[in-house]
Amino acid sequence: MKFAPLLLLATVALLIALPWLVSGSMLNAAVQMLIAALFAMAFGLLCGQAGMLSFGHAAYFGVGAFAAVHAMNAFGGAGLLPTPLLPLVGGATGLISGLVAGYFSTKRTGVYFAMITLALAELLHALASHLKAVFGGEAGVSSFRMPAWGIGFGSLTDVYFLTLVWTLLCIGLLYLFSKTPLGRITLGLRENAHRLRFLGYNTHALGTLIFAISAMFAGIAGALQSMNIEAANYVVLESHISTAVVLNSFIGGVRVFLGPAIGGAVMTFFGYVTSDLTRVWLLYQGIIFVLVMMFLPRGLVGELVERLRHRSGQGVARSLGATLLRLLCLAVAAAGAVFLIEFLQRFLSSEYRAGVSEGNWPAISLFSYDWAPLSVLPWAVGLGLFGLGIALVVTVNRRVADRQEAQA
Amino acid sequence: MSDPILSLQHVHKSFGPAHIIRDANLDVLPGERHAVIGPNGAGKSTLFHLCSGQFAPSKGHILLNGREIGGLKPAEVNRRGLARSFQITNIFPGVSVFENLRLAVMRKHNLQFVFWRSAARLRQVNEEVDDLLGKIRLTDRAQTLASQLSYSEQRSLEIGMTLASDPQVILLDEPMAGMSHEETDYTAGLIREITEGRTLLIVEHDMSVVFSLAHRISVLVYGEIIATGTPEDIRGNARVKEAYLGEEAA
Amino acid sequence: MPLLTGVSVDQILFALLNGTIYGLLLFMVSAGLTLIFGMMGVLNFAHASFYMLGAYFAYTLQPLTGFWLAIILAPVLVMGVGILVERFILRHVHEHGHAHELLVTFGLSVVIAEMIKMVYGKFAVDYRVPAELNFAAFSLSGIDYPFYRLLMGGIAVVMFIAIWLLLTKTRVGIVVRSAIYRPQMAEALGHNVPMVFMGVFGIGAALAGLAGAVAGAFYTTNPNMALELGVMVFVVVVVGGLGSMGGAMAASLLIGITNSLAVGSDLRIADLMSLVGMGGWAEDLGGLLTMRMSSLAATLPFFIMLLVLVLRPSGLMGEKE
Repeated sequence: MKFAPLLLLATVALLIALPWLVSGSMLNAAVQMLIAALFAMAFGLLCGQAGMLSFGHAAYFGVGAFAAVHAMNAFGGAGLLPTPLLPLVGGATGLISGLVAGYFSTKRTGVYFAMITLALAELLHALASHLKAVFGGEAGVSSFRMPAWGIGFGSLTDVYFLTLVWTLLCIGLLYLFSKTPLGRITLGLRENAHRLRFLGYNTHALGTLIFAISAMFAGIAGALQSMNIEAANYVVLESHISTAVVLNSFIGGVRVFLGPAIGGAVMTFFGYVTSDLTRVWLLYQGIIFVLVMMFLPRGLVGELVERLRHRSGQGVARSLGATLLRLLCLAVAAAGAVFLIEFLQRFLSSEYRAGVSEGNWPAISLFSYDWAPLSVLPWAVGLGLFGLGIALVVTVNRRVADRQEAQA
Repeated sequence: MSDPILSLQHVHKSFGPAHIIRDANLDVLPGERHAVIGPNGAGKSTLFHLCSGQFAPSKGHILLNGREIGGLKPAEVNRRGLARSFQITNIFPGVSVFENLRLAVMRKHNLQFVFWRSAARLRQVNEEVDDLLGKIRLTDRAQTLASQLSYSEQRSLEIGMTLASDPQVILLDEPMAGMSHEETDYTAGLIREITEGRTLLIVEHDMSVVFSLAHRISVLVYGEIIATGTPEDIRGNARVKEAYLGEEAA
Repeated sequence: MPLLTGVSVDQILFALLNGTIYGLLLFMVSAGLTLIFGMMGVLNFAHASFYMLGAYFAYTLQPLTGFWLAIILAPVLVMGVGILVERFILRHVHEHGHAHELLVTFGLSVVIAEMIKMVYGKFAVDYRVPAELNFAAFSLSGIDYPFYRLLMGGIAVVMFIAIWLLLTKTRVGIVVRSAIYRPQMAEALGHNVPMVFMGVFGIGAALAGLAGAVAGAFYTTNPNMALELGVMVFVVVVVGGLGSMGGAMAASLLIGITNSLAVGSDLRIADLMSLVGMGGWAEDLGGLLTMRMSSLAATLPFFIMLLVLVLRPSGLMGEKE
């Protein structure tokens, strides 16, 4: 594809120009997106390329975050390294902890591996609450970014560029890694570890090393995170961080190179823009994940790449039409589902329940209308839209199938 | 007669109370194509597993070029110059044919933990892969995913990966299993070509293949080699007829 | 014995009993997980979510139906959820392989936890042992032992005997066991294997639901309970070996008992090290080494798991992969 490099260049140019294009709060979201993208790429190396599903990657993200904060505080606040190089500390600690954790978890493969990674992350989380000296207890550890190399690192723009440079650098390194002999063997590990062992490769050592490299990049992402907020709290070791990176990466698609990064960035973006609108973003994220796994098993980016690769000249326009129609119908169904979930969420919230008195059910304000919860209307709207959307999708699918049959 | 390249001397293998191989003696001569035949459950696969290092013999010696290999690990046996294919197709399905062979060739060059060089620039490795592709007649399928090859092509790829370490002795475990007549002929031709200048030990059920391909045949029955000889010898051997061919006629 | 100073025999007896009952509870959940894995090859990440659903369903039903009916109905409802999940979600992704099925159940566990939070709130609900069951079974050295704990253990034991009888003595059990080892063969013999799969998934879910309904009243019922128990169950199956009921049983008891012994112990690693003359060094180092066992109890199962991984990677009773 000739236009892939062009698209990449345009994206990088846009990212460089971003501070002059968007508001401060949006730029803050962009920093979060970059960090999520890098974290997802680290996860993608392990899960997508080496085929080892980790449910505990928060551990290495968190270790990197704490290491960076302590490095910033070293020498009475002067810092172990100049600010721009601090992510190296996160990477190094990620690498070391990854070597240890990888040694244990790659003793087993498949589902056992997945369970061990989860258990190791929970172990670290359980220990962290007892080790106040390292993890700072409830309050966490905070710190300040020091100026270095003539840059203040006080403004959001400076932080944005620091994050951007590191993220692009790491993604570039990951790309180059995938082209090396070790990177190629990584794929063999995913495809048939047994055969690899029989060829004479040391699969346990290879697995451990790749686990450690993945943990290293996760550690760099963690370091960028704690440098951004100038603090680390053991919340970064909690399971929902591990969960988020699994969901994001698979929604994007772990088998295509940039799939996890795009998944991470897009989901973080939606999480950010909907944070004022909904309190149940994680529920939506879970539902989207299950749907993607069921209907687009390669992930969004993976499915897109696959379609582009197998496009047939004349079919493009027609399949594009059908796809757009499907998306439209799905949007109707999604609107119904979102309405129902939001309505239920408000109906069930403790604030609302506190306002309910003896047979008096106040109206619920949603999408700039007030709905009476005991009337049929809100439920009919939600269920109706949802049902209508699904029915339409089924109809479109049937039509397309009929037409293909007629052509064949 | 030259010295055997692979020699099994009084080899026993038992799993608990089950004696699978009992006192097997077998000499494979350099450059010959040697087939092992026998009824189901005679222990042919176990015999292969013993030679290639999956299992260690309970008793006896296995010598490769006069050196003991019994009980060594598969990778070590492979390094000494013996490579094998598997009864079930055992490839890397989700990557290209080229990549499959490159994984096999890189091991030979001891490229394992190398992350500072580009795989595309490993000239020696890539040339060897191209060479192998030609040998197994898959040059124009190089970029195809291994999972999308036909069955016989996958078996060819499997054989190609066996060849990658440039072994002196090749063990092929039922390479024609599940193939049509045409595919069998094709694969027999391929095996003839690639074993030129090497030693082959093969387990195969298709008797027409065995009798046309092999220089010598050994018959394994209930874990014992009851006869070894040229195809003509084996055809005329009374014990073989009774124990093996007779069973098939019945 | 310097290690046991200040600990009475009665306390150890209590700890052993508590540990055994907690272990039985773990086994109730891990048995279902193992059964489903052995049969369908699916590691059901949402299994502990079924445990949580059991607790919340029983909590919701209790005011309407009373305690006993609630702990009977809740597992039935969970079984229904399990059957729906198997029929409409898992079967749909079956063609993409077991890793994919694991991921889908992982997603479901997120969805279930978020839904629970939405409906019942983020904090623990007031699900308690009913007053008529809240009495001491016996007392030793003046400490009462709650009857409800014994009841939990009893229910678990009765459940296993029932399942064991079902699997070994009935025709259904024979079909199930044959479907585990040879699904195609069982299908060829005219048995409806998809139906058997659905049934096993449902029964596994119901077992977890029953465990939740019973245990939720004694421990706490909150949206985190699935994760907390789920991790323990995973540790159990790594230690015991998936697919081995005996292994799951041994590991459940091992982890249950060590856990509750540790909770009651003031021992520190530094004390152990002082036995070999390194006590002073450990005191200076501080950190983990000077922490009391009781506060580290939650992490002990993980260390057992790591130890097993080093010494016997395939698990206590697991077969080699």
